[in-house]
Amino acid sequence: MRRFKHFDASSLDEAVSLLARFEGRAKVIAGGTDIVGTLKDSVLPEPYEALVNIKTIPGLEGIRNGAGVLKIGALTRLEDIAHNETVQTKYAALAQAARVVATPHIREMGTIAGNICQNTRCWYYRCAHNRFHCVRKGHAAPGQSLECFASDGDNRYHSIFGDVKDCLAVNPSDTIPALIALGATLKTTKRSIAVKDIFPPSDEPTKMTIIDSDEIVIEVEIPEPQASSRSAYHKVAIRKSIDFPIVNCAAVVDFEGDVVKDCHICLNAVHYKPYVPERAEALLEGEPLTDEQAATAGEAAVWGAKPLPMNSYKITMAKGLVKKILIACREAG
Amino acid sequence: MPDFEEGGAREVTLKINGDDFRILVEPRENLREVLHDRLGFTGTKEMCDRGACGSCTVIMDGRPVVSCMMLAVEAGGHDIETVEDIERKQHPLIETYADHNAMQCGYCTPGFVVTAKALLDRNPDPDEEAIKSALEGNICRCGTYPAHIWAIQAAANRLKTREA
Ligand code: FES
Ligand code: FES
Repeated sequence: MRRFKHFDASSLDEAVSLLARFEGRAKVIAGGTDIVGTLKDSVLPEPYEALVNIKTIPGLEGIRNGAGVLKIGALTRLEDIAHNETVQTKYAALAQAARVVATPHIREMGTIAGNICQNTRCWYYRCAHNRFHCVRKGHAAPGQSLECFASDGDNRYHSIFGDVKDCLAVNPSDTIPALIALGATLKTTKRSIAVKDIFPPSDEPTKMTIIDSDEIVIEVEIPEPQASSRSAYHKVAIRKSIDFPIVNCAAVVDFEGDVVKDCHICLNAVHYKPYVPERAEALLEGEPLTDEQAATAGEAAVWGAKPLPMNSYKITMAKGLVKKILIACREAG
Repeated sequence: MPDFEEGGAREVTLKINGDDFRILVEPRENLREVLHDRLGFTGTKEMCDRGACGSCTVIMDGRPVVSCMMLAVEAGGHDIETVEDIERKQHPLIETYADHNAMQCGYCTPGFVVTAKALLDRNPDPDEEAIKSALEGNICRCGTYPAHIWAIQAAANRLKTREA
């Protein structure tokens, strides 16, 4: 592994000034389970010069249940979120999502903010020793043009809503769809921003988030869902443990009797950023949630999908998953 | 000569099995390398080196973690427990693993035992489901999975009768 500098920050101010000093060539390290892997594999053409450890900053870990809002510190471990009783009862989709990230060992290390800010898992991007110097990595060598190797390579796990002239990698986070469906907000050292708004516009699909290189996530805030609402999450992956999602989905449905009063759905691993199927949400509202309605919502959720040569199966999966999650919300509680 | 350049190699005190080890580490060294290759805690095995197999598991502050994905510079000041301590304290897992032949080549076994110890510390009476989910991050190429459930349940029973 290449050498890099490492700093234990004792305060957010110190961490921010270290990050600013390296002008984008330093990264925050929290749980480390994502970044240590990219360093071991020498994935990047220009490796990070420094890592700034924020685990040495007090007060960034823990779950607090305040007046109508749940506050989860950036460094709260995924395993602690999965086992938290309040999260399990009131924010079920998040508990279910946190519960299936990677393995128990990784969840004991990995943090909620790290899961939100994680890098892509595209296998061309992640291939060791920067073998595929792709459009996401930028900076073409002289005489080299940058491309997305997935566009005519093995794209079975890539975007179904992408445009082939762009990067086709997907966002792999398990917790993001649950956080978006639940209406979560991030508090950072610079701003307060809804989780659904931290993703770049579609002409910049190579960035994971718009969080600046010298900006640090402090806390995730989730408003308490209506007592009449229910949420659920599910992930389709090859193995039950360790694997990233092929498709995952979370929904929060607020009911009045059997009728859907309000509904939020979010799919992930289907686009460069999490995908909110607004058509599906709109058609559910004001109607009873029958099995047929759930299936129609599944169809509507993938409206406009453009499969790649190897991934049309993901459209079928996404449809079925939306239906399944909606029915799970109906049956829950 | 060690260079104490800012952000470079530095001395950390690792608290391993109750003993303090002062050691000079570089930021790029992971905890598994330091434990196994430099300090001789050879029970902490490397298999995947990517956090995917659990064979390098140690218990840190009560949590089972994969030491290959943890930077050694960040491990200072935390309580680290390795399989050597589990053996030294004669935890019943050591015997029940042998009784139930919960190993074939034995390479993955320390990682399973450490993960199981962390589980029993938190949940002294785990049912089959709890054991399976605690071991979701441990891979055994020899396929000894069912035997781990028997060995861990037997160890839980012995702990109960020991306490009674
Ligand atoms: S060697 Fe650390 S998890 Fe496989
Ligand atoms: S006993 Fe051989 S790998 Fe598990």
